[in-house]
Amino acid sequence: MDDENISDDQSTEIMDVANTSDNQPTEKMDSTTVNEQMTVNNKDYKEYEDEMDTSDEEDIRNTVGNIPMNWYDEYSHIGYDWDGAKIVKPERGDQLDNFMEKMENPDFWRTVRDLQTGQDVVLSDKDVELIQRIESSKIPDSTYEEYGPWIEWFTSEVMDMPIRNGADHKRSFIASRSEASRVERYARLIRAGLLKTREQKRREREKKRQRSFFMMWSTDDAEDENMRRITDHIPAPKRNLPSHAESYNPPPEFLFNDREMRIWNKQEETPWKRKLHYVPQKYDSLRQVPAYPKFIKERFTRCLDLYLCPRARKMRLTIEPEDLLPKLPSPKDLQPFPTIQSLVYNGHTDMVRCISIDPLGQYLLSGSDDMTVKIWEISTARCMKTIPVGGIVRGVEWNPNKALSMIAVIADRKLLIINPGIGDHLVVSKTDSILSTPPIQTSIVSDKIKAIVQWDDPTTEEYENGIRIVLNHFKELKQVTWHGRGDYCATVMPDGANRSVLIHQMSTRRSQLPFAKSKGLVQSVLFHPIRPFLFVATQKNIRIYDLVKQELFKKLMSYAKWISSMAIHPGGDNLIVGTYDRKMLWFDLDLSTKPYKTLRLHSTAIRSVAFHKRYPLFASGSDDRALIVSHGMVYNDLLQNPLVVPLKMLKEHEDLADFGIFGVTFHPTEPWVFSCGADKTIRLFT
Amino acid sequence: MNKKTVTNMASQIQVKFITTQEQYAIPDFPLSIDSKIECKSLNIIVNKILNDKLSEDNQDALNVDFDFLVNGELLRTPLDVHLSQKNEPNEKVVVIEYMEATPSPEPMDCLIHDDWVSAIHFKKSWIITGCYDNSVHIWTSKGKHKIGISGHTGPVKAIKWISVSDDSATFVSGSQDQSIRVWDWDIKKGTTNCLQIGRGHERSVECLSVSPDLTRFATGGWDTMLKIWSSDPNFKPADVPVKKQKSEAKIMPPIMTLPGHKENISAVQFINNSDLLTSSWDHTIKHWDGEIGGIKTEIVGNKSFFNHDYSELNGSIITCSSDRHIRLYDLRSKEGSLVKGTYSSHKQWVTTVKWSKTDQYHFVSGGYDNQMKLWDSRSSKVPLFELTGHEDKVMCSDWTNPQLILSGGADNTVRIFKNKNVKSV
Repeated sequence: MDDENISDDQSTEIMDVANTSDNQPTEKMDSTTVNEQMTVNNKDYKEYEDEMDTSDEEDIRNTVGNIPMNWYDEYSHIGYDWDGAKIVKPERGDQLDNFMEKMENPDFWRTVRDLQTGQDVVLSDKDVELIQRIESSKIPDSTYEEYGPWIEWFTSEVMDMPIRNGADHKRSFIASRSEASRVERYARLIRAGLLKTREQKRREREKKRQRSFFMMWSTDDAEDENMRRITDHIPAPKRNLPSHAESYNPPPEFLFNDREMRIWNKQEETPWKRKLHYVPQKYDSLRQVPAYPKFIKERFTRCLDLYLCPRARKMRLTIEPEDLLPKLPSPKDLQPFPTIQSLVYNGHTDMVRCISIDPLGQYLLSGSDDMTVKIWEISTARCMKTIPVGGIVRGVEWNPNKALSMIAVIADRKLLIINPGIGDHLVVSKTDSILSTPPIQTSIVSDKIKAIVQWDDPTTEEYENGIRIVLNHFKELKQVTWHGRGDYCATVMPDGANRSVLIHQMSTRRSQLPFAKSKGLVQSVLFHPIRPFLFVATQKNIRIYDLVKQELFKKLMSYAKWISSMAIHPGGDNLIVGTYDRKMLWFDLDLSTKPYKTLRLHSTAIRSVAFHKRYPLFASGSDDRALIVSHGMVYNDLLQNPLVVPLKMLKEHEDLADFGIFGVTFHPTEPWVFSCGADKTIRLFT
Repeated sequence: MNKKTVTNMASQIQVKFITTQEQYAIPDFPLSIDSKIECKSLNIIVNKILNDKLSEDNQDALNVDFDFLVNGELLRTPLDVHLSQKNEPNEKVVVIEYMEATPSPEPMDCLIHDDWVSAIHFKKSWIITGCYDNSVHIWTSKGKHKIGISGHTGPVKAIKWISVSDDSATFVSGSQDQSIRVWDWDIKKGTTNCLQIGRGHERSVECLSVSPDLTRFATGGWDTMLKIWSSDPNFKPADVPVKKQKSEAKIMPPIMTLPGHKENISAVQFINNSDLLTSSWDHTIKHWDGEIGGIKTEIVGNKSFFNHDYSELNGSIITCSSDRHIRLYDLRSKEGSLVKGTYSSHKQWVTTVKWSKTDQYHFVSGGYDNQMKLWDSRSSKVPLFELTGHEDKVMCSDWTNPQLILSGGADNTVRIFKNKNVKSV
């Protein structure tokens, strides 16, 4: 039984294979071999017809179609023929018959059963060959030439000449516009997030796969999602939470006493002045609390408030007072500067109005109301010399030229050129010899100048005291200043109107009148340390004149009422001006004609200002007896503004007749400052 | 009960007394004393132990004034304050070294001059002073005025003896008249003679120093030049032609002129036969080689130096500058210009400082606050003694003779103090 089954199965299989193998080649065939196949098929067909002709078997056709034939296992027939008659299952012999058949029939091995009809079919040689070829994985058609010559229907060779004669169309050279627009559309969609690239999709998938967390109560304090569309939404102010007073059972201190009740009642007319808008009430239990009568009204007013009252964000600036102050370095880092009084130069019998220091820094020169000029040794406070000058000394100035031993002193209407006879003997004698021989006047001095100033020789007594030249002016002198080289000096007569400033040249003994017109009361003049400029301070403004071009170079506006003094930085680009209205002005000449900094440090009029030649220091002395030392750093870098830091107030002078300090000057090399005052002393601070 | 003892223990401190002076040696055992103890009580304790020991040896009792050194500094405050300043733990046994206290110098004499005394020097019982009235005065150590010499035309700012013998002496003076004069003084006859006039300084001469071998002297002044001169009266430079001179005194050029300082040289000192120290207003102290004429080292301060003094005993320099502090520098240290100590007690500028010639710790200082002060270099805040007497600025001082502390000032006097604490070197 088993064997039979197996053989049955085998045979069916073979049959199936044969069927498919018949069709396969045709399917696989390309259209390239159509002709050939046609011929082969024809041949097959003829052969088959021949066989059919020779076969004596009836043409039994089953009409059940391609169905599993085991459906007919229970029946005696296996289907229906063309006429609708049952096809009876052919009679099967038993195993012995089969065996006999096997032994006797030489074609038994190639006999298969046709399942459709139940008939035995003997396979032809051709069928067997076909099956064998398929089994050995060969091309089933034995006539097919596997290694035949390749017929190239479409050549792979590139032809040199085009087939067509016409030129290529323009659109084959330019990018396709429709494609470009499509790409553009895709790109736009991707950008807008409507279309996603594969990469994005992958990332999203990954994100989905990861665990995500949610803020459970995010809507409580975050803005409402819908509100985001409104730019800068201002949420409605929240109502205050109920306080203890609003409780049904408030603590006794919240309940109104008689006085509070009286106040409440008194404010009946002006309810907005009340602290509370209700009277706290006490109930034994929540059950007894009556309905709130004003509830609807309050809700209504609140709604009115919310939509009728525009809400606005208030910009409140919170500026700390410290932030408004400029960031200045600590005075500790700006050392050295004078901090303590070191020496007092006592000797004058009246107010000391002016002081000056010799270029080397060994001696100090002072002029006083006691009509004398004194020269002091700085290191010991020893008065080396006293020169009577016969007038109140309003200005003294040591000649800045180290090769000359010369001081200029103004006493009332006289300008005295004095050789103090102190310092290098050689320089002293040289200066004397220069001054003893007056140069021959080549040009005639105009009468106008003669009326203003006369150059006179001193008397013998005066000569003994060191006075070498006397210049008698027509008005009282107020100030004298030397040019940096020491040949020129300028004097100021405030009452002289247009003749108030004079420039004297020592080597030729001539005086010049630089200005023809009066611009105001001249207070002070100053030579620029490097360039040929003359600074002239009138009451309110400072004019800078170019002495070479003889023209006004610049006019500085002080915005002060009355200028008292000025000093120039050794670099020549910065000027400080002291005024009688308590201000000290710092001008940066490169920056502007207006003050760069205004320092209001003194409580009364400033009398004198001074710059240090080497250290970044400047000082001011005023009538309030205070000497204020400040740090004034000027940078070489033009982009950096000067740094001004007040450092130290030195208040040692005594008060006398409302006058404090008259003159301030720095030591040329050390960070020491000198001040002279109405208390007849000169003080050194180190 | 227990608590009380603990608190008591906390304020107690273990000390041990040692000394280098054998005659005052006491048994070496630690003592537990109150940590707030001061100098006075310590003195009583040590004296008591010492006298106990002496009575055992059948010797007379002593009453000595002691000074106490704790961690190399003199005890001037209560002991616990002193230790806490030094950040010393209280648990350790504190070793206190004691020695006989310096006896206070006594004012001895006052030499009255006609003008400010700006320079002073002592040698072999002779005091020489330079005055602002251009004169030079010679006094005996007993205070007797011997002679007043005029010759300078400016205040005499520096003066030094060169040699003193029994019958004659030579000295050199520098003045603001830019000249240096070498003088010869015949003691017997009482006459002086200006041997040589040194010219070369272009501004006033401020300081002067004679070399230890007396052959040369150096001057400095406002012309910022350091000049070295020969003290030989017959010195003639080879390359300068001898001019015929009217005056008796010969004009002398310097041997060497050393530029280097930028401002006034305020003090100069020979530290040995070749080397010099100069202090200047340009904030530096320079160490020169006087033979070759170069700068060896330089100490840079931040104030103008007014005076300095070098001590051979400890190799340190004390300086005074344009503030009220005295600063101690170690010349031998390689670390540069490190301040080893600062002594502040003066209320004004200090203008003169002098080391003791015998005690390596003692020095005197004088300032514009009219005070002379005697210092121990181990006590930086408090001086040993204040030598009051001057009524105006102190300008110069001298301590060449260990017994005599001399100072001259703007009150026209020279004050002499007798120093009793004289050790032999």
